[in-house]
Amino acid sequence: MSSLEESDALHARVRAFARHSLSGAATESFDALAADIARFQAAHIPGFRRLVDAHGTSLSDAASIPAVPVDAFRLARVAVHPPEQDDARFVTSGTTSGAPGTHALRTTSTYRELSLAWAIPGLLCDESPRVVVALAPDPGDVITSSLAFMMRALMETLDGRSLGDGTAARFDVDAKARWLVGPGGPDVVGIARAVAVARERREPLLVLATSFALVLLADATDQRFEAPEGSVVMTTGGFKGKSREIAPAALVERVAWQFGVPAPRIIGEYGMTELTSQLYEHPPERGVFHPPPWLRVTPVDPETLAPVPPGEKGIARFVDLGNVDSAVAIVTQDLVRATGTGVELFGRRPGAPPRGCSLAIEEMVLGSAG
Amino acid sequence: MTAREEQVWALVAAARRLADAKTNEGARARAVLAAATGLSVEGVELALTEHLETEPTRNDVTALVGSVEPARAAHVVLSAGVFVAAHRAIALGLAASDTVFVKPSRREPEMARLLAEALPGSFTVVDAIAPRAGDVVFAYGNDETLAAMRAALPAGVRFRGHGTGFGVAIIDARGTDAELEASAVSLCRDVVPFDQRGCLSPRIVFVTGTPERGHAFSEALSHSLARAERLVPRGQLSADEAAEITRYRDTIRYAGALFPAGTGWIGFDATGGAAVLPPVGRNLHVVVTNDVPALLAPISKWITAIGMGGAVSGGTAEGLTNAVRTAVPRARMSALGLMQKPPFDGPVDRRDTD
Repeated sequence: MSSLEESDALHARVRAFARHSLSGAATESFDALAADIARFQAAHIPGFRRLVDAHGTSLSDAASIPAVPVDAFRLARVAVHPPEQDDARFVTSGTTSGAPGTHALRTTSTYRELSLAWAIPGLLCDESPRVVVALAPDPGDVITSSLAFMMRALMETLDGRSLGDGTAARFDVDAKARWLVGPGGPDVVGIARAVAVARERREPLLVLATSFALVLLADATDQRFEAPEGSVVMTTGGFKGKSREIAPAALVERVAWQFGVPAPRIIGEYGMTELTSQLYEHPPERGVFHPPPWLRVTPVDPETLAPVPPGEKGIARFVDLGNVDSAVAIVTQDLVRATGTGVELFGRRPGAPPRGCSLAIEEMVLGSAG
Repeated sequence: MTAREEQVWALVAAARRLADAKTNEGARARAVLAAATGLSVEGVELALTEHLETEPTRNDVTALVGSVEPARAAHVVLSAGVFVAAHRAIALGLAASDTVFVKPSRREPEMARLLAEALPGSFTVVDAIAPRAGDVVFAYGNDETLAAMRAALPAGVRFRGHGTGFGVAIIDARGTDAELEASAVSLCRDVVPFDQRGCLSPRIVFVTGTPERGHAFSEALSHSLARAERLVPRGQLSADEAAEITRYRDTIRYAGALFPAGTGWIGFDATGGAAVLPPVGRNLHVVVTNDVPALLAPISKWITAIGMGGAVSGGTAEGLTNAVRTAVPRARMSALGLMQKPPFDGPVDRRDTD
C-alpha cells in the first residue's frame, strides 16, 4: 500500500470513528487507531522517527506516542506528504518576535467533517437553517487560518444562503457581508443587518467571534442588537499581544447584553492551528472545555512529560486522531487541569525563569535568514 | 587616583579576599554560595577564581569610573543569574556616589552581603530601594522587570538598566580539524561558567563553512562540553529551566540534529534557516551559514557579547569580523574563551539602555 493509500485509509477510519463515537457505537478503540496513525507517521517522517527512537517507545497505544512540541511546526515541515500535495496550509499567528508555524493538510475533508461534527452540538445547533456570521476579518480566497476555515464551514453548512435574497446561488457573492471585522474595526451596520435578516426569517443567529473582536465591538458601540431567540455567540481566542483584554465573565456579561442572548448561549471554543479538533465549553459551566471523543487531552509534567497526578496542572498533551498526516500527538505550553470530562485552561506556562538577563524561550525562533 | 577610583579599588581588594580560599572571607563565600546559586561546588570555585574581577588594570578602573555620572545616591538592583556580577555592579554604584544602596536578588542575596562584610561601610544592603530626584538606579534583570521598575521611578531619577541579553559565538570552520577542536574547547570556557545563565553566555553558534564542517564542530563541541562537565559539573536546574530543556531537546530532535553534551544538548541546523535560542544549562544551537550578518540582524538587540574563533591557519577573517562589528556595534567582541572575562571598564552590557 502506498503512503497515499495508507493515509486515505486512516482518514476513512478516523471519520468512521468520529461518526460512530458520537452515536455511542465506536468501531474500534481510540488507542488502536492512534497507534496506527503514529506508526504511519513514524514510517514517513524522519523527525518523528527520531523522537520515537529516543523515547524508546513501542507505539502500542495513545499514551506511548511521543508528543511533538508545537515549536516543531515553526522549525520544520510536520507532514507525511510532500508540499506539492498540500490542500491547505494553516499558519499560526507566531509569537511577538518569532516565526509562524505551519500545519500542512493533504486533505481538508477530515478537518471539515470533524470540526462540524463537534461544533454543531457544541454550539447548540441542529441541522435547521440559521444565519451565520463571523466577527472576524474576511480571510480572502486562500484561507490560511484554521479558525477561518472552520467558520466558513459552519457558514456553508448551517446557512449557505445569501444574506440578501436568501438564495443559495448568491451565498459566495455576498460572503464579505458575513465577515464583520474590517480595517476600521467591527462592522456595526453589518451586525445589525445580519440580526435583521435572522429576525425576518425567524431563524436563530450564530455569531462566530474572536474574543478580541467582541471587546472592540464593546468599545465601539453601546448599541444592542436583540438577536432572535435561540441565537448563539461563539467566543474564541485570547488576548495575547492585544492592547486590551477583559475578564471572561465580564465578556460573557457584556456580550449577553449587547446581543440579547442568554449567557448560557455564549459558548467558548478552544482550538489550535496545530490541531484538527476543537473543544467547547458547556455552559452554564464556565472555564471547562470539552474535547470530542477523537481528541484526548492529558496534563503532563513539562520536564518529564509524564501525566501529572489527578487535580494538578500540567502542560497540555493532545492526541488528536484528526492529525493523520501531521502529528497525532502534540504537546503545547498551555497549562491545563483535567476535570471529569474536560479540561480547564490556565493560559501559557511561564517560560524560562527570569534569571538575570536570560531570555525566555518564548522568543525561541528569533528570525530567519530568508 | 580619584576618591571614586579609591573606592572601587577597595572593593576590588575585598573581592580578592573572597576569591582566595585561604582567607576567612573566601572560606565563607564557598560555604554559602553553592546553596544560594544552585551552582555546583566546582562551579562556584570556577566563578570565584576565574571570573570575579580581582586584577583589573588601572586604565580599566579609570574607564569604569568614567563610564558613570556622579549622583546624589546610587541604587543597585541585582539579578540572580551571575553571582560575581554583583562586584562590577556595586563598583559602578561606588563610582557614581558615596551613598550606595544595593538590593540583592531574593534568589541569590549572598554575594552582595559577602562583599558588604568584606568592605564594611562602603554600601548598604537593602530590601527595597527608595530613590529620589538626583539619584541613579543601576538595575539588572529581564526586560519586563526593568520596564516596570523604570515606570515606577520618581521624576528626576536616572535609570541605567541592563536587560535581556545573551552571547553569540562565530566559528570560521575552514581551518584544520585541530583548530576546530581548539575552538570547541575554547567555547566551553565561555559556556560552563554560571551554567550559561549570564547575559554574556553564548547560546547560539554560527558556523561559516560547509554543513559537514558544522556537523564536525557540533560533534567536537558535544565531546568538549561532556569533558568539561566532568571537571565542573552542572549545578541544579530550576523546574522551569528543566522544562525548557525538555522542550528544546524534543523540538530540535524532531526538526534538526541533536547531540548530547554531558547533561546539556547541542542542536544543529545545517540549513542556516533560523537562529534558535536554546535554554540555559549548557545548551547551544549551532547554525551553519555563510551570511552571519543576515542571521544576526533580527537578534542584534539582544546580543551582548560575540566570541570569534576558528580558521587560524586560514588567516584572520577580517571581513567577517568587520561585518559582525557593523551588525552588532555595541556587543563586546572577544576571542573564544574570553567572552566571560570582559575588561573591568564599565558595565559588561554596553547596549544603550538609558
